[in-house]
Amino acid sequence: MSEIMISINNIIKTYRSMGDEVQALKGVSLSIKKGESVSVMGHSGSGKSTLLSIIGALNPPTSGKIEIDGIDLYSLSQEKRADFRREYLGFVFQQFQLIPYLTAHENVMLPLTTTRRSNKEKQEMAKEALVRVGLGNKLNRLPNQLSGGEQERVAIARAIVNEPPLILADEPTGSLDTKTGDEIMALFQKLNEEGLTVLMVTHNPDNVKYLSRTIMMKDGRLLNHDEQLITTMNNTIL
Amino acid sequence: MNLFQIAFNNIKRRKVKMVFLALGLIVGVTTAVAFLSIIESMTVDLGDRIDEFGANIVILPRSEGQEVHYGSTLISNISFDIEKLTLEDIPKIYESSVAEYINIVSPKLVGAVDINNQKSLLVGVETQKEFIQKPWFSLQEPLKEGNSIVDLALMEIPDDGIILGTSAAEALKLKKGDEVSINNRSFKVFGLLKKLGSEEDGLIYANLTAVQQLLDRPGELSMIEVSAYCNACPVEEIAMGLEEAIPHGRGIPLRQAALFREETISQFSTFGYALSGMVLLIAALVVLITMLSSVNERTREIGIFRAIGFRQGHILQIIFLEVGIVSITGGIVGFGLGSLAAKYAGPYLAQLQGDIPLRPELLLPAVLLSTGLAIIASAYPALKAARLNPAEAIRFI
Ligand SMILES: Nc1ncnc2c1ncn2[C@@H]1O[C@H](COP(=O)(O)OP(=O)(O)OP(=O)(O)O)[C@@H](O)[C@H]1O
Ligand SMILES: [Mg+2]
Repeated sequence: MSEIMISINNIIKTYRSMGDEVQALKGVSLSIKKGESVSVMGHSGSGKSTLLSIIGALNPPTSGKIEIDGIDLYSLSQEKRADFRREYLGFVFQQFQLIPYLTAHENVMLPLTTTRRSNKEKQEMAKEALVRVGLGNKLNRLPNQLSGGEQERVAIARAIVNEPPLILADEPTGSLDTKTGDEIMALFQKLNEEGLTVLMVTHNPDNVKYLSRTIMMKDGRLLNHDEQLITTMNNTIL
Repeated sequence: MNLFQIAFNNIKRRKVKMVFLALGLIVGVTTAVAFLSIIESMTVDLGDRIDEFGANIVILPRSEGQEVHYGSTLISNISFDIEKLTLEDIPKIYESSVAEYINIVSPKLVGAVDINNQKSLLVGVETQKEFIQKPWFSLQEPLKEGNSIVDLALMEIPDDGIILGTSAAEALKLKKGDEVSINNRSFKVFGLLKKLGSEEDGLIYANLTAVQQLLDRPGELSMIEVSAYCNACPVEEIAMGLEEAIPHGRGIPLRQAALFREETISQFSTFGYALSGMVLLIAALVVLITMLSSVNERTREIGIFRAIGFRQGHILQIIFLEVGIVSITGGIVGFGLGSLAAKYAGPYLAQLQGDIPLRPELLLPAVLLSTGLAIIASAYPALKAARLNPAEAIRFI
């Protein structure tokens, strides 16, 4: 088994909309090992979400190659890519993105919906995931009956219910207060210690201490080591 | 948790939209079922009428260049070289080559008479034969024996009794039991016929012998109405056989009434199909628009589904399941309402006498129609949903 979870080689992503061209990624190469937890930082518009969505098998790059666990994502068909997302990836979004008409338990069960498991097994797995994020007692609440932090926990439970090896999170603490944000980061740290690889976009430098490595982005590129050092120093001074 | 539950939950959440969608389909299916039921009943009714008229033949005296109308106000009997029909012609019918087909033979004498200074048409019939031949004749105030109505054909009509059609009764202002003088002879109104909607409403019926005496034409007949046993038998051939037996008579198959009715039905069904088609088209548009807006509202949700590993096929399944559930319900309700509409509005729309029966065999086609239509109309919204770019869908939130 390979040690590498994510391998990205010279990815370029150009968005075209109404004659306008935006190069969101200008040649990004990156390698992340299994068991790492990595934060991606950078200014707004630097291409963080774009990178995450490409790694998330949701957004084909204009050129370049990306492999996850040795699988070349964009050589897969649309439907196979959906299967890949289901089996390999857990997404956590900033706005939680829960389905409002489903209970916490049902939201967590969603990724299992299209798998061949008995209903009972699905329910058990979802319940277990909710217990793991500390929400074992709020199974039947609808999202609007939960606090922001609790909703985020449900979203995390949904991301891990299928036991994927890789979690992708885009500003998961962006809409939470500091205390709740810290709790959520501690949860990610715990999950990482349990063996999951975590890749997280964040604006909050305080989050960095929960993760093993930080990548800085600027204008569609990754900053190299020296540049990163300077930026990190600047951040520390400020 | 499965796709069905997701679809079902979504229907519950978007009740107003789904009710609207179902209503569109219900109106469409109701219209189609109602018209189909009515048209079917009319066709059955036509079949019955062809049974009544189809194999009937009227024998009239052969006359050169002279038309004799049955039911018109004037029957010309002033003719020198016409050999008249008489009661002696009746046995010839039973001896003819087509005797085996003959069921009822009803001789008639028709004459214009003065009643209360009004010209009226008096028809002399052998009442039992005439009324067996025309089972759709019945009295406005039928005679009852216990609880059951005595059939008109079984009644003994007295020699001085007359039976009036509705228009005749109206024109002469006569009602049951009235005494009336016809050509200086006194008659009594035995009963009034129920409205038939045909020219027969204008006639006055009396016993054949009484009319022959009254008109001073003993033994004489204006026409002989013959009904044959079968529906499918060759009426034209029977008519020819009768003409052979009675050379001075002319056999005319009576089919016009049925043909006229057929014309009405075909016009009505064209109208019915056109209207149903239009309503169904509108229903399809309602489905299309409702589902498009539903899909647009759910962009984010569909994006999430796709992101967490739902295939495009799964999204299609969810949408079609929703549409399926709603449209099956719509089909069943539409069938129910359509049947009710046919039952209550049908007789009025199609001028049918009888009841329009419930047609359970239309339930399945109604459901298929509703579902098929809904699925076709929601194909585009469903594809749109499935092809949604998940990265786009969750980007701006
Ligand atoms: N679908 C798209 N169509 C056109 N342009 C896009 C699209 N997605 C992103 N962009 C552009 O690409 C660039 C990078 O966007 P991206 O969302 O990756 O930035 P980001 O680093 O996540 O920013 P933020 O911190 O604000 O979330 C931006 O200039 C953005 O406008
Ligand atoms: Mg972003």
